[in-house]
Amino acid sequence: MAEHTVKAFDEDITRLRGLIAEMGGLAEVAIAESLDALVRGDEALADQVVARDKRMDALEIEVDKLAVRIIALRAPMADDLREVIAALKIAGVLERIGDYSKNIAKRTGMIEGRSRFEPLTLLPAMGELAGEMVHDVLTAYAARDPDLAREVIATDVKVDGFYNSIFRNLVSYMVENPSTISSAAQLLFVARNIERIGDHATNVAEMVHFAATGAYPPEGDR
Amino acid sequence: MTVIHPNMADENAKIRARDVCVYYGDKKAIDDVSIDISPNYVTAFIGPSGCGKSTFLRCFNRMNDTIGAAKVTGLIELDGEDIHGSRMDVVQLRARVGMVFQKPNPFPKSIYENIAYGPKIHGLAEKKADLDVVVERSLTRAGLWDEVKDRLEDSGTALSGGQQQRLCIARAIAVDPEVILMDEPASALDPIATAKIEELIDDLSGRYAIVIVTHSMQQAARVSQRTAFFHLGKMVEYGPTSEIFTNPIEERTKDYITGRYG
Repeated sequence: MAEHTVKAFDEDITRLRGLIAEMGGLAEVAIAESLDALVRGDEALADQVVARDKRMDALEIEVDKLAVRIIALRAPMADDLREVIAALKIAGVLERIGDYSKNIAKRTGMIEGRSRFEPLTLLPAMGELAGEMVHDVLTAYAARDPDLAREVIATDVKVDGFYNSIFRNLVSYMVENPSTISSAAQLLFVARNIERIGDHATNVAEMVHFAATGAYPPEGDR
Repeated sequence: MTVIHPNMADENAKIRARDVCVYYGDKKAIDDVSIDISPNYVTAFIGPSGCGKSTFLRCFNRMNDTIGAAKVTGLIELDGEDIHGSRMDVVQLRARVGMVFQKPNPFPKSIYENIAYGPKIHGLAEKKADLDVVVERSLTRAGLWDEVKDRLEDSGTALSGGQQQRLCIARAIAVDPEVILMDEPASALDPIATAKIEELIDDLSGRYAIVIVTHSMQQAARVSQRTAFFHLGKMVEYGPTSEIFTNPIEERTKDYITGRYG
């Protein structure tokens, strides 16, 4: 894309994109590490995930401030305007994804009898898929690539599939052995959180598509 | 190539221009421009300096006639009537298609006379009482009445710049035009006076077809419903203002409005 006549405008936009990229990187790591901590019962790692979420919150505030400043001082138009608005919304969504990961990490100490739960082997795979969605959607954002954004949207059904199968699995544990109810309920929330992360990645993909093309993806995609 | 957004053609167009070219001597200042100007909208012409937007605006009331070396070809119709036709009286045309310029240019006469002059020479009002009505109505519509009603005999040139510009708009309105052309009407004014002019444009739209040339894209975005982007004498893109400023089709339009031009 051609440069702006006013160089400082380009610098602002580059900085905004950098902040979003950093938030995306943190979100990816948080998803992977929170599940790693949960599965292995590693409370130290879980604490790290929780602590690092503060950085995420600070970044969101930074994006908000910068976006407002760009709108006020540079009066962006057309794709610049869409880009800034999308960044504003994407930052909010990434922060939310961070919260879900934090929430998963916090459940680490609440699971008993890890070896009994088959879903514990499924959750990391589900988390990996959701993490990939986050990774790909940020690649699409960086490259302003609407096609990749649509691929991300298409991936969400797989995450939903995981959720449904884990849900059934956990319910059957609870039915067969009521002593597992407490831990299984915790894992149910974890699965639910990952499912929500997939939904949020889908939302980001829609915004990336909008920023790049000026239109939301066709209804069939969503 | 001109990109025209869907639904921009208007059967009831106030002004219809077809294949208009304007030459200054050998130089082609406007190259084959066709456009429909709707009566119900404010239409903005934007583009870099020298792109031809003012030249094109001046075609609508034949202001280019006053420039010896200028030649206009193509068809321009006002309500379906060829404005270059033999039956078109140019003085009458300029009453129907009024104009407001960049620098306020009140007559060096009283505020009252500035407004009353046009209606008098066009025979729209003869008696003093009728003229009083026209003067009050015009000044009210231009948002100036309350500020000047007690000093109508003061000179128009004694007003502030913003007031002078509204006086010029009131003067244009006084002869009951159908179209008002504005060439950078607020570029010499401070932000408050500018806001008053923009508010006035908003008030007047619907009653008059308004075409405004402006260098301020924010202003075009604020006051217009239709925007045409000109570049190097050609109309590059014409569409709803909301589309032009959020999702333009042409790369050149996008580069210009996002500040990447040149």
